[in-house]
Amino acid sequence: MTGQALVPLRPGPWLQGAGVLGLLLAWEGASQASQSHFVLAGPSQILERLRLDGGLLLRALLATLRAGALGFALGVAVGLGLALTAVLAPRVERPLTTISLLLFCLPLVATGPVLRVILGPGIGPQVALAALAVVHTTFTTVLVGLRAAPASWFDLVRSYGRTRWAELWQVRLPASVPYLLAALQIAAPAALLGAMVGEFTGAERGLGVLTIQAIRSLDVVGAWTIATVAAASAMAVHGGLGVLGRRLDIIPPPVLLAPPPDPPVRSPAARGLALLGLMGFVLLLWQGLMDALALSPFFAKRPADVWAYLVAGSDAAVHRQTLLVALGETASHALPGALAGLASGAGLAALLVLAPPFAAAVLPLSLALRSIPVVVTAPLIVLGLGRGPAGTIAVVAAMVFFPTLVACLSGLRHASRPILDILDSYDAGRIRRLAIAQLPAMLPALCASARMSIPAAILATTTAEWLATGRGLGSHMAMTAMTSDYAALWSSIVLIGLAALAAHAGIAALERALLARFAPEQLAP
Amino acid sequence: MTRSAPTRRQLLFTAGSLLGSGLLGVRPTHAQGIPVAMQLSWLHSVQFGGSYIALRNGYWAEQGLDVTLLPGGPNAPVAPPLVAGQALLGRGAADYDAAAVAQGAPFRIIGVAMQKNPFCIASLPANPVHEPRDLLGKRLGMALINRPVLDALCALNGIDATAIEIVPTQYDAAPLLQGQADCLLCWATDLPVAMAVQGVDSVVMLMADHGYEIHAQTYIATEDSLAQRRDEIVKLLRGEARGWQDYRKDPAAAAALTVEMFPDLGLDPEAQRIQAERQLPLMFTDVTDAHGFGWFTDESVEANIRTLALLGQEVGPDLWDRSVLEEVHGN
Amino acid sequence: MATDRPPSIEVRDLSKSYGHGPHRIEALVDLNLRVEAGRTTALVGPSGCGKSTLLRLVAGLETPTSGSLRIGDETPEAVRARGDLAVAFQDAALLPWRSVRGNVALGRALAGLQRDRTAVDALIALVGLSGFEERRPAELSGGMRQRVAIARALAGRPRLLLLDEPFGAVDELTRGQLHQDLAPLWQAQGTTTLLVTHSVAEAVRLSDRVVVLTPRPARVAADIAIDLPWPRGTGIGSNRFHAFCDEVSAALRDSGGDQRLAAQ
Ligand SMILES: Nc1ncnc2c1ncn2[C@@H]1O[C@H](COP(=O)(O)OP(=O)(O)O)[C@@H](O)[C@H]1O
Ligand SMILES: [Mg+2]
Repeated sequence: MTGQALVPLRPGPWLQGAGVLGLLLAWEGASQASQSHFVLAGPSQILERLRLDGGLLLRALLATLRAGALGFALGVAVGLGLALTAVLAPRVERPLTTISLLLFCLPLVATGPVLRVILGPGIGPQVALAALAVVHTTFTTVLVGLRAAPASWFDLVRSYGRTRWAELWQVRLPASVPYLLAALQIAAPAALLGAMVGEFTGAERGLGVLTIQAIRSLDVVGAWTIATVAAASAMAVHGGLGVLGRRLDIIPPPVLLAPPPDPPVRSPAARGLALLGLMGFVLLLWQGLMDALALSPFFAKRPADVWAYLVAGSDAAVHRQTLLVALGETASHALPGALAGLASGAGLAALLVLAPPFAAAVLPLSLALRSIPVVVTAPLIVLGLGRGPAGTIAVVAAMVFFPTLVACLSGLRHASRPILDILDSYDAGRIRRLAIAQLPAMLPALCASARMSIPAAILATTTAEWLATGRGLGSHMAMTAMTSDYAALWSSIVLIGLAALAAHAGIAALERALLARFAPEQLAP
Repeated sequence: MTRSAPTRRQLLFTAGSLLGSGLLGVRPTHAQGIPVAMQLSWLHSVQFGGSYIALRNGYWAEQGLDVTLLPGGPNAPVAPPLVAGQALLGRGAADYDAAAVAQGAPFRIIGVAMQKNPFCIASLPANPVHEPRDLLGKRLGMALINRPVLDALCALNGIDATAIEIVPTQYDAAPLLQGQADCLLCWATDLPVAMAVQGVDSVVMLMADHGYEIHAQTYIATEDSLAQRRDEIVKLLRGEARGWQDYRKDPAAAAALTVEMFPDLGLDPEAQRIQAERQLPLMFTDVTDAHGFGWFTDESVEANIRTLALLGQEVGPDLWDRSVLEEVHGN
Repeated sequence: MATDRPPSIEVRDLSKSYGHGPHRIEALVDLNLRVEAGRTTALVGPSGCGKSTLLRLVAGLETPTSGSLRIGDETPEAVRARGDLAVAFQDAALLPWRSVRGNVALGRALAGLQRDRTAVDALIALVGLSGFEERRPAELSGGMRQRVAIARALAGRPRLLLLDEPFGAVDELTRGQLHQDLAPLWQAQGTTTLLVTHSVAEAVRLSDRVVVLTPRPARVAADIAIDLPWPRGTGIGSNRFHAFCDEVSAALRDSGGDQRLAAQ
């Protein structure tokens, strides 16, 4: 039992290879067994399709990758810029965080048509949606990195009488490099998804276009082939960045996403005022953007239109009722889905620590599945589990599960080594190590996952509702877009934004309470 | 490896073009002319075959128009680009058009590509639905979003909608083939076509034959453009009409042209051919024979207004404007 | 060690290497050493000579590359499994979410002893932290945390106590206080204690015997019995104490490791 101090969470290549092979066999078997259900296509069918349609798929992939890469670059640049701004001017951090979260929560159904109008024909919307999918995660992750240096380093720079710029240049930027790499890894699949969804706004080529065709014509093999191609390319980018990181000797960061900063201690009145100010700013930004782009009020509604629709207008009560019912239905899928995803992600991470060989099979799978765009998985999962709540909840859970697993594993790995040594000196055993030292160490990662699961759950639920189940706010938004009821659409967006902010604030409060108890060092500025 | 595995050179080339081409989409090189765009209602397919013929044969170019066909998609409503002035003409449907107008879009329907609405009830020959009454007691697979359509059909034919068991499905044929549903509510030009490609025969009951009169694939324009850019709209619709006349003579050629023009869409040539065939009777009727492509009569407008009322939409005849068609067809 | 008596430690030709290929580091090569039962033995030697490695080997936290290591007539694993061994490192390694009492109680629980709040509180009192039972580590000073860590180590009634620079992170004044307060504790429990330190004075003050190691690969350069009377509080500063300190320092210097020694 000695040497168990280092539980091999990174299984050897042989074990991993065997795990992958086993998975492929199981997949093939399942697809053979369910042949008549139009749900699952196996590796052999996918290979055959790749052989037949390789050229078409390659052209589609390249088209999507092109838009995705441009959006990726743009989004990462903006996210970096925001993070630098927040570090240099800490006052604007909270507004920036709020705005970037709101942007991230904007439902794809809603942004697509507006972007199409603003950006015109071509790949503009694909690039913009890819960028939007990347900004928030880049911003939050890099911001953590820019702060991830010991206070003594800052003191050192200050002791030489150097400025914030020197601090940024000498300390913060070097400290943030591993986080930037992690941000890029998170961003790669997201950008691909954004580019694919962008194609839904009208395109002549790309994986998104092929996805629509495959789903429409019940081409299950086609849909799985596209999923495989998309996942493989996202994994390739992910892996490539990982290799690059190792080449450059960049050590992965301890916890990916640190908690939001503690709100400064202020009187309730002052806090209310700050909140009002922030909301006013967001509304101004909204109005100003619409006006500056001279967007027609027919489809580009302003705050006043939403106010009229939800509050002031004659049918406002009916509208509120309709939207709240739809929102309730969406929440009734998003919430259990997110909880299931978090619980299973954390649970499996814990299990993997108890039974490391298991990790051999699960980790590659988790990375692969994390890379498949939800627009492809949602219809497939719903196809398998039906249009009832189970299907949608499963889509959400799948979307939340994988990032949670990865984050929690990383958290478990960062259990305090001296504490583990103490436990080992008593031969405490795996279960006690887990309960006493590792699970608490995992909490920050779990909290961060919960925070990040909000936009993911919203994205997954509305996408599944829109593309597959025809229920809830996602479907409602799609319908309002088709029937030009843009006031209802924008009101839905506002509701989703408010719900996301409320959920975010709730989780952040819970997180601070938990961290104050279990990981006080995480709360240090 | 597969035959089309990319070579290193191809990959390098792609990387290069990735960097080079920036945000601008690839635009086809057109002859000089007034730039004009038409917003389609879905991804490119033979559904818009006549437009491709007009483009390919220069029916617009020779009138001095440089036409771009903007593809639609699941997240591409037609109204915004029209209102924003990015597209001069859009392909709608009377019910969506009426909804947009109710929301303040100043649209007019100036032509109707599909005289008969393509909504149908598709069933299998062993358990067929030939008329609305046959629906009673059957399990109908449909997307919930189309509920008003079913209600309108039932109201038009005096049958009890509650006697039909609705099976919520995605827009696909699988539930019918797997026996979870006895029939499907869909377009005559897609799911039955997909089944035909798979070698499955189906019985198609066109709802238009049972009182469901909603103009489909309408041509819509804003009042503003009708006033300011009327000449271009007339030319656009004229070229469109010529294209569709050619289409009527040889739908298979139109299908082939579609597949050829859009090689990256993964279109199935066989499905395109069958679809091209099947939309003919919906587009070309006695009315078009008498008056020309895209025409609509006062009677059909009245019928549309009645059906729209059943769908909960109140519109008047001024939603329709035939003056452009009259100019196009020269009477 | 089936008896209650504290064990001796017998190290024979013990080697330990870390890493592979070009990254391979020989932390210990063929070390021979004997630690007497029931006494406190201090290990001093230049930084990086392998003291911590030896301690971790004794604690069963690492496996030897070759050679043998017996505790009494058992392996470290067997002793460890019975909860007869406790460690305290330079890092107090307290659970930040547990109170002082919770952290000390953990030592009992892990050693397989029954819950006994009175015994735990008595230990807390013994290390001078009465009144701080409900505090969390973040509310304590470094010296206080170190006391908690030692109380936790003692809570399991170990027969073998392994201390790796337990006062290394503590300031000079506090350290003197800890020496005075804590040394009698493990003296009283009659454990075999192995203490790694980089302070010559600390080694002389706290141990019955000081083993001086050479730079890597470590050899025993000197083995000096410190026959100062217990308790030592009064004898500090005496001529004999200084003589022992000088002797240890000289041994270190002769072994070539004095420059690297971080003593005062
Ligand atoms: N886990 C480890 N991996 C690699 N090398 C190690 C490890 N632990 C210690 N070493 C190396 O072994 C040697 C002895 O280290 P250590 O026992 O910590 O020395 P001391 O405690 O005497 O300062 C050093 O060269 C150190 O770098
Ligand atoms: Mg050491």
